[in-house]
Amino acid sequence: MDSSMRTSASGMMAQQRMIDVIANNLANVNTTGFKRSRLSFEDVLYETVQGARITNANTAESVGPIQIGKGVRVGAVLRLHSDGAPEMTQRPLDVAIQGDGFFQVQRPDGTTGYTRDGGFTLSDGGSIVTKDGHPLLPEVTVPADATNVTINANGIVTATVAGSNGPTEIGRVEIARFLNPNGLIASGQNEYVESPASGSPVTGFPEDEGMGGLLQGALESSNVEIVQEMTDMIAAQRAYEINAKAIQASDEMMQATHGLIR
Amino acid sequence: MPLHGIIDTARSLAYWERLQDVTSNNAANANTDAFKADRLAAHVLPGATSPVPVQTTDLEPGALRDTGRPLDVALEGRGFFVVKTAHGERLSRGGSLRLDAKGVITDLTGNPVLGEQGPIVASGAKLEVHGDGTVVVDGAIAGRLRLETVDRPATLLKEGHGRYIIPAGGTRPIGDGEAIVRQGSVEEANMNPIQSLVDLVTIQRAYASNIEALHAMDSVLGAITTEVGRVQ
Repeated sequence: MDSSMRTSASGMMAQQRMIDVIANNLANVNTTGFKRSRLSFEDVLYETVQGARITNANTAESVGPIQIGKGVRVGAVLRLHSDGAPEMTQRPLDVAIQGDGFFQVQRPDGTTGYTRDGGFTLSDGGSIVTKDGHPLLPEVTVPADATNVTINANGIVTATVAGSNGPTEIGRVEIARFLNPNGLIASGQNEYVESPASGSPVTGFPEDEGMGGLLQGALESSNVEIVQEMTDMIAAQRAYEINAKAIQASDEMMQATHGLIR
Repeated sequence: MPLHGIIDTARSLAYWERLQDVTSNNAANANTDAFKADRLAAHVLPGATSPVPVQTTDLEPGALRDTGRPLDVALEGRGFFVVKTAHGERLSRGGSLRLDAKGVITDLTGNPVLGEQGPIVASGAKLEVHGDGTVVVDGAIAGRLRLETVDRPATLLKEGHGRYIIPAGGTRPIGDGEAIVRQGSVEEANMNPIQSLVDLVTIQRAYASNIEALHAMDSVLGAITTEVGRVQ
């Protein structure tokens, strides 16, 4: 019964983790470019307490082995990189990626960050930066006297500069995609960094070879679906309860055994 | 004879305890994808004098849940995927697959899920898995998942991580339409929470009444050893 209690405890801990992940998804339901995560559990080692054996040699009748499982563990937290719906903001520096790809930004520690959050602003020097001030890579600088900044679907940034009568190209946005975006490490601030599991980034212009296109004046909303999270939460809560009941039952059995000795 | 009774009751207590272990493990895996619940029942086998516990794994398919993740695959119907581990090939019901850094399709623990021509490399932007297991990456066929089954599923041994050890008879490819691969879904555990709760109550009560029986037989034995033969 000791082992059944530990098995049930592993079940309770696993369901607690599931609630943690659901809570984080729900907390980020309105976070731009947020991708929901999902837990995947797996069963753990089985102890074979009695092997398969033949019960009747003449008819080769046999009974199967008895294997006792030892509970559950968290197999992985998987991030779902499906697109969120674009939300129109009409702000010129809000850009959403429709399809595959991440914006590349320069993080303060010198590494490259990857983000789906295209809510950009301008730094005092005129460069396009994220909300946290990380400059977009390759850097695009908007001249001080420029008006009418536009970013088209292929990433070309144009502006009307004083002295010229038409729009001039002032830079081009490059995006990166990964073979295995699930392997990226979330580093907070809506950014990801690459890991050995994600593979190396493939960079290119938007709408080229499998890259998504850009949409100006829109932000990608999170792909969290509240109904989905709620049903997952109910499932986790009920599974938690049943494991708690199993511990209680084991405990009462143990008490009964202790009662044998008077 | 109370002594026989005590031995029988002790065996019965061990059985209920084991059943409690099995039920706890089923409950712990209530939300484990593609988990198959275990059952334990006492059977009187021909030629045997006392009942023996016989375990079976319920291989009934679980319900499918939509996830929308392209690498989540589930099998509708009976059959298994083949996974290559360090200890040889294993069977698995699928679930959330991953890509490693080279783009090879693996299970959650990083073991390649085998296609008919070995591991499948899926390097591309769009991955499709068809019902017959064909993996299509950016419009080109990358491979076809091996779908196999065993003749006597009762001989499968669980290894943990959702994997099964292939029994001595080996595997054979599944027949036409025996199983369909569903992309973007996972198979839920097939354990029944209500049944588990009922089992928990039954086990607890049966255990308690066996303990009561032990007490009764102990009192009889106590009476024999202390009362009978006492010299007044």
